[in-house]
Amino acid sequence: MSEYIKLESDKISEGVKTIMDLGGHGLLRCVQCGACSAVCPGVKAGFPVLCRMLIKKILDGQLEEIIEDSSSWGCQACNRCTEVCPQGVRPQEVVFAFRRYQANDLAFSTSAITSQMNLHAYGHAVFTDARELRAKVGLPPEAPTSAYNEKAQKEIQTLLDNSPMGELGIF
Amino acid sequence: MQKYGMYLGCNIPFKAPDIEQSFRKVFPALGVELEDLQGASCCPAWGTAPSFDMDTWCAISSRNIVLAEEKELDLMTGCNSCFGVLSEAKHFIEDNPERKKRVNEKLQAIERRFEGSAGVYHVSHVLHEKVGTDRIRQGLTYSLEGLKAAIQPGCHVLWPSDVYQVKEKNPFFPTILKELTQALGAEVPHYSRLEYCCGMGGMRTTDVEKSLGLFTDKILSIKEEIDPDFIVTTCSSCFLQFDMSQPILKERGVIDFTIPVFYYTQVLALALGFDPSHVAAISQTPRDAVIAEIQSEKRKIQK
Ligand code: SF4
Ligand code: SF4
Repeated sequence: MSEYIKLESDKISEGVKTIMDLGGHGLLRCVQCGACSAVCPGVKAGFPVLCRMLIKKILDGQLEEIIEDSSSWGCQACNRCTEVCPQGVRPQEVVFAFRRYQANDLAFSTSAITSQMNLHAYGHAVFTDARELRAKVGLPPEAPTSAYNEKAQKEIQTLLDNSPMGELGIF
Repeated sequence: MQKYGMYLGCNIPFKAPDIEQSFRKVFPALGVELEDLQGASCCPAWGTAPSFDMDTWCAISSRNIVLAEEKELDLMTGCNSCFGVLSEAKHFIEDNPERKKRVNEKLQAIERRFEGSAGVYHVSHVLHEKVGTDRIRQGLTYSLEGLKAAIQPGCHVLWPSDVYQVKEKNPFFPTILKELTQALGAEVPHYSRLEYCCGMGGMRTTDVEKSLGLFTDKILSIKEEIDPDFIVTTCSSCFLQFDMSQPILKERGVIDFTIPVFYYTQVLALALGFDPSHVAAISQTPRDAVIAEIQSEKRKIQK
């Protein structure tokens, strides 16, 4: 073994509590069987810290060590892991809880900023001016969504501004 | 006539409005009325609010569901990701009375209230469960007999099955899209990576090469095992991945073929006789030849 991990119980409990509070409720039920990793497209594609491995690192108290790892952002939220887990851990919820831990420390790629700004401005994470394209296929140029509806945009902005996301200063 | 609140999401109205147009043609033709959910927003996408704060996610999602509730309608979405996000948000709210209270406090600021009375359905569910394959068969103008299709149901209509309103008997061997495609007359053989992820979504924004690697396995499996005339999906994200990535892989010399891709309601609209320049007009992977084949004189059904 090239490296020994020193387990510290305070650090472990703190990490586990952080992830559970952020939505990863099933964490402690994990028996490390690896069923989740076997079906995970993220693991298959080569993201090293997903599913069983992410849970192991949290259970080993290594939360701070992996805060910069991008694996969680490669998670497809597909929930194959949730479907197969024999212990009801719901690993996808753990992955997203870990993402929230990262995001609240702004540990995500800058490419993620555009979609947050779009969501705030138009109510859509993905937005392009598609008026010409829509007219071409015989649709009203302006979609009936928040993109062209000021009242709806205000509502979304109110929800976002009065949230922890608003406090991060990304809008 | 049955009626649904049409929830469009982001991809469909802004990147693939011909899919939206196919909904607007197909559903009324099959006896389902669509009512727009005016002012609906992003679901919100997995990489936005769900990655930051659960209550904010649930508040934005529930606002979309409330738009249907206020019209006393169920909501229908054409995007798998939206279906997953909205269904899970609804589950997280209903599972936890404290969260429901907090979400409603947030909604109070915009003068709305979430009750939970509107169901969340996907286009494929409405077609399969409410319209039914018999009705689809009866309405056809063109038959797809002799054509071979590969299906791509997409992840977010399959798992986690415990929070979905309509589910597959076995989500690892999905049959809804298969039966819908067979109803058009097409042959739908099984291939080994049927329920595999296409690599779109968070993976594509995080690491495009990893995403394309996963997609390569999938497209090669489809080509080598069943060599279909076209691919049909009921996920707008999968549609974009299949449509955008094939030309890239071809350009790089990774594949020496491309397979036309459709969203299911696009092939359905073609089989019902609607104008391709409205319902199947935008794609990067060429599909004109198969569109002409589908709407050819010899395929006209004599009534
Ligand atoms: S399948 Fe469940 S119990 Fe097994 S390693 Fe994954 S999370 Fe742990
Ligand atoms: S939800 Fe994420 S962690 Fe779970 S199987 Fe899918 S990609 Fe992997």
